[in-house]
Amino acid sequence: MQHNSKYIKNLFNNKGVEISSKRVDLFERFVSDNSTIGIIEKIRSLQTNIMENWQHKNRVQDIIEKQIIIPNATVNKEYKAFLDFEKLGLNDISYSAIEGLEELGLVYDNEKEIVVGVPKVSGDFKVNFKFRIKDDLDDSLLHEKKITLVINADPKSLWKNIQSDFEKTEDWKIENYWKKDDEISFEKLGEKNIVISSKRGRSHANVGSFRDDDFAYKFFDHTGWSVVCVADGAGSAKLARKGSTIACNAIIEFFTLNFTKEALEVFDNVIKEHQTNKTAETSKQISHFVYDNLSKAALFAHKKIEEFATQINVSIKDLHTTLIFTLIKKYDFGYAILSFGVGDCPIGVINKDFTEIKLMNWLDVGEFGGGTRFITMPEIFNSEKFPTRFGISLYDDFSYLVLMTDGIYDPKFIVEANLEKIECWKDFFEDLQGKNNENVNVNFEKRNIEVAENLSKWMDFWSPGNHDDRTLAIIY
Amino acid sequence: MRRLPVYLLLDTSGSMTGEPIEAVKNGVQIMISTLRQNPQAIETAFISVITFDSSANQIIPLTDLASFQMVDIKATGVTALGDGLSLLANRIDSEVAKTTTEQKGDWKPLVFIMTDGIPTDNWQNGLIEFKKRKTAFTVACAAGPGADTNILKQITENVVSLDTADSTTIGKFFQWVTASIGVSSTRVEDSGKEVQGLNELPPPPSELNIVI
Repeated sequence: MQHNSKYIKNLFNNKGVEISSKRVDLFERFVSDNSTIGIIEKIRSLQTNIMENWQHKNRVQDIIEKQIIIPNATVNKEYKAFLDFEKLGLNDISYSAIEGLEELGLVYDNEKEIVVGVPKVSGDFKVNFKFRIKDDLDDSLLHEKKITLVINADPKSLWKNIQSDFEKTEDWKIENYWKKDDEISFEKLGEKNIVISSKRGRSHANVGSFRDDDFAYKFFDHTGWSVVCVADGAGSAKLARKGSTIACNAIIEFFTLNFTKEALEVFDNVIKEHQTNKTAETSKQISHFVYDNLSKAALFAHKKIEEFATQINVSIKDLHTTLIFTLIKKYDFGYAILSFGVGDCPIGVINKDFTEIKLMNWLDVGEFGGGTRFITMPEIFNSEKFPTRFGISLYDDFSYLVLMTDGIYDPKFIVEANLEKIECWKDFFEDLQGKNNENVNVNFEKRNIEVAENLSKWMDFWSPGNHDDRTLAIIY
Repeated sequence: MRRLPVYLLLDTSGSMTGEPIEAVKNGVQIMISTLRQNPQAIETAFISVITFDSSANQIIPLTDLASFQMVDIKATGVTALGDGLSLLANRIDSEVAKTTTEQKGDWKPLVFIMTDGIPTDNWQNGLIEFKKRKTAFTVACAAGPGADTNILKQITENVVSLDTADSTTIGKFFQWVTASIGVSSTRVEDSGKEVQGLNELPPPPSELNIVI
């Protein structure tokens, strides 16, 4: 009663109505009157309604303004995002729906409160989040807010593949030292086979530029020797593609001219003697032969590039290229394998039982990226490290002899140290023989004549961040 | 995979209120959307945002472009640039992987600093910490006449200035940052080399004055 009296007094006060002392009794009777009490109750209940309505509107507005972040999606990649209402402090959401997801390839399951599907289109989208909170009537209009959903493009779709000779003439190709974007080869190499694939990297394909890697090989029937070279032109050198070609061709030319039957006779005798009766003298003679011939070949390649640079009046630096090559011959006792390397491309030999890997060369890798050395650098020939660039190994037989550029070794071996681990080579060959996401199998059985096509297909493997030219030569 | 870490150290002091802070938010947003279209950047670039006002705060840890989501930023307080530099040094230590014989580390980080005022804290201490870390390059941007390019010159030799700090100039700055990140990510992927300085970056637009 006291309460009602105060309420009316406040009301009168607000309206400027005074209760004179003569009317106090009347006022008391007025306040106690049932009809007055009824009206006050009605007013109070309406006020409560107003308050509740306001709180409700306020809450809805809070939710509308709250940033709801859902993880970004990627085209063609399965997506599942849980809208954790509890964590977001949105426990009072009693019903929710999202409009605009279907055209993106997604659906919203409002029982589980998850967005699922495989997105089809990329972009920054605003989808309509519709909701009711628990104070809403069951048939009331849904509230609405926008949620941003980012769908990234499928990274693979962002890469363009522009042919380096797209709409170009034959003259243009000659003037620009054009070479094929992809090259494959498969042949018998004495009693072994060789398969090679060299592929332009996606970073070059994306802008229509040239493959900088190159390779060459030759089997010399009259002596039984084979030579295989791989070169990786430096990305920063503008004519690197030509540098790598000249380097490989020069090595073939050198051994064609110099590995004559007569010139090899002494070596053939020494190596046979070494095999039956190994002495310090035979070792020395072998090393001497290797150093003498292979260093001349390396220098020959350097000179050939230098001549070319002078001829077309550019700096030899514009033709910077790494170079590895190996010579291999089958003797009665087994195989002799010789090697030379400058740069960061490895040559590995795996023994017959696949239990040991020998890395024939050390890699020129700097502390940071870009520390490699090139055959085009005159200083490598004067360096005290030069004699350590050669290798010789004798095997009764081997399973694989592998030459590769960093476009293969970076994604597949990651670090230099792994090149000396047989487990990593096992993984590498398992990968080649089908254990890969693309299900491509390179079959090394001798009767498989499609091995080069298989290898070429395998070389398209996807590896984020690794889009350099790729060259891989396998003798088996 | 070797990541290309990119740190944005942004001034969110009270003087940035209004148009400048909106321009920064917008700039970062457009930068991310643009870089997402670049196949090399989306694979290699990882972005972190550190803001500094009365104190520094890493509002976004080093995050790949595909999952990056910008959070709201507000301009308030003073200009604790030193605190920002210390935090940046600390974050580089814990977020950027070093190369060992067993793993290939990340590329050296790119750092972009933007401020519109004069530091209010003991900024030299932060600078000493920051200088101990290796970056591919650091660019500092003096946004408007309130910033002191002499101070920024002590942080890095690569200093650019904007005559005014408005949506156009700040937008242009972020466009250029975007292009620079794009070029750097292409470079590391193509040639395995990092961009070393301002002269290897795309030419800045006319709104950006190179401070010599």
